[in-house]
Amino acid sequence: MKARVILLLCVTVMSGALWMGATVPDLGYPLPPDPLPLQVPAGWPKPLPQVFAKNKPTEQGFQLGKKLFYDQRLSKNGQVSCANCHQQFAAFATFDHDLSHGLNDVLGKRNAPALMNLAWMPNLHWDGGINHLEVQPLHPLTAPDEMGESLDSIILKIKSDTSYTKMFRAAFGDAQINTQRMLRALTQFTGHLVSANSKYDKVQRGEASFTEYEKRGYELYKANCAACHPEPLFTDNSFRNNGLSLNRFHDIGRQAITGKPSDSLAFKVPTLRNVQMSYPYMHDGRFYSLYHVIDHYRSGIDTTQPTLDPQLKNRIQMTTKQRNELVYFLYTLTDSSFIKNPRFSPGNAVLVPGPDMHKAGMK
Amino acid sequence: MTANKLTLQNIFRGFLFLAAMLSLAQTLVAQDTGMVNLHFIHEANGKGLVLHDSVYTNRAGETYSIKKLQYYLGHFRIGGTGSMPEGDAYFLVKQPYVEEAKPLELKLPAGTYTSLGFTLGIDSIDHCSGAQSGALDPINNMFWTWNSGYVIFKMEGNSPSSPSDLGRIEHHIGGYKAGEDVAQTIIMNASKENPIRVLKGRVTDIFIRVNLDAYWDGIQQIRISENPLCMSPGPLAQKIAANFPAMFSLADIKNPK
Repeated sequence: MKARVILLLCVTVMSGALWMGATVPDLGYPLPPDPLPLQVPAGWPKPLPQVFAKNKPTEQGFQLGKKLFYDQRLSKNGQVSCANCHQQFAAFATFDHDLSHGLNDVLGKRNAPALMNLAWMPNLHWDGGINHLEVQPLHPLTAPDEMGESLDSIILKIKSDTSYTKMFRAAFGDAQINTQRMLRALTQFTGHLVSANSKYDKVQRGEASFTEYEKRGYELYKANCAACHPEPLFTDNSFRNNGLSLNRFHDIGRQAITGKPSDSLAFKVPTLRNVQMSYPYMHDGRFYSLYHVIDHYRSGIDTTQPTLDPQLKNRIQMTTKQRNELVYFLYTLTDSSFIKNPRFSPGNAVLVPGPDMHKAGMK
Repeated sequence: MTANKLTLQNIFRGFLFLAAMLSLAQTLVAQDTGMVNLHFIHEANGKGLVLHDSVYTNRAGETYSIKKLQYYLGHFRIGGTGSMPEGDAYFLVKQPYVEEAKPLELKLPAGTYTSLGFTLGIDSIDHCSGAQSGALDPINNMFWTWNSGYVIFKMEGNSPSSPSDLGRIEHHIGGYKAGEDVAQTIIMNASKENPIRVLKGRVTDIFIRVNLDAYWDGIQQIRISENPLCMSPGPLAQKIAANFPAMFSLADIKNPK
């Protein structure tokens, strides 16, 4: 009996050693990925727990997500990546486009939203139809006016690229590739797009000070805008009707998701961070400057709409001088370290040289 | 220092590994389980369903053909107890086109049971916890990308009674939020003479009839001329879902001899 126990112990030790040692490289990536916890800026609320609940970010997962984000091959014709409509220099909105164009230059029906601080955003899309950051990419990947590809084909394309095999293994421990892992890697990238280093933030931290104009603009913001665009995220992530007329696409906004008539013409309150870079504005990009936006609140709101947000029923009273001061404050929300951060940039590896270079890079 | 070195820590981890394997093996041996194969037989008008070509009629005289039929089942329970199958909690049942339908395989504790139950649908928590895998992988085209949530039952076909484009029928039934939930619990009772017997290491075949006649004419009447399309959560989806339970019945139980 004793001999058998000793033998068992020996076998145990041997197999344990084998398991830990020589066989490890064959089982998968030998080193666990490096944890990359989300850094929460000082004074901010905690990020939503569900965003990374089953998907702890790692450096390798982030890098894989970035590669996927910038990979045009995920689209049906190989020319449209996530970054085509979400350009870093425009705070990950589409620069200077009221509507974005996807596959074969088909125009979409909504303005591409800027991407930042998504780990604090409970619902995605202008109508809030998306209930988790992980499932957000499914629509743009498959919609005919965006990237237009089937998930089957996307997974096949990724599987046939050995550089992806290595990166999936590095991020997830083995080379298995499926939609869940693809979406989780994308979430690790987009969830890390944190913008919290604007002049406004530096003023809050005592590292800079507002000019007189900006200071007056900040007071105007607090009095007139902060109810729906509260600090520090500059959005309360609610859905509200701000008195825009029904557009040519008959876009009823939130009502299409909830089915409630009371949600007619309600759209997500967007963040004001980097608002200088994310023009044009509103869900259909109808306003090309911040002056137009504020003028809408001063005199353009359709106060006859039954679902108009009650706070806007008297519009916003503001002189033209005050409007200009408010715009000066909004410019202090531009975070150049975010829109130029090389951590979020594709580098040179992903852009494929060829006749479509101009189109692909400059869209 | 590399991971290959035989350190005390690694030896300890080796021990843990083996101990875990032993306890797992013990658990598997200790529990007497048998296999249950569930065969789903889709029927309409008393005939086996054939995709595309065959024409069926509902009680209102509307003729139709079916191009696609697939739905999610989960939370299998047997004999009133809440016994779940191992592994993936959900299964996507599909009516095949030409190939042989594969049975749905459950491993269940040995015993004699008088009923088989399951949920047609998906728990709300699995609708809003991010990207899922296995049967719930959105690659199965049973997930709404524009309004997050699963289509729990998808039927597509054609009918001359349909006023929609090309006479199509597209019923994508889903909805998980309060007031929109479409998931249905289905319990089927076996006869006293022929209960479900699960024997250790043996296979029991259960044949489940899924009758589309009850889809159109169950608790609710669904008319193709009125509702050829149902593509989002809401009252119509719930009305159609109310007919799901009456569609399912036990057709036959082949117990191991």
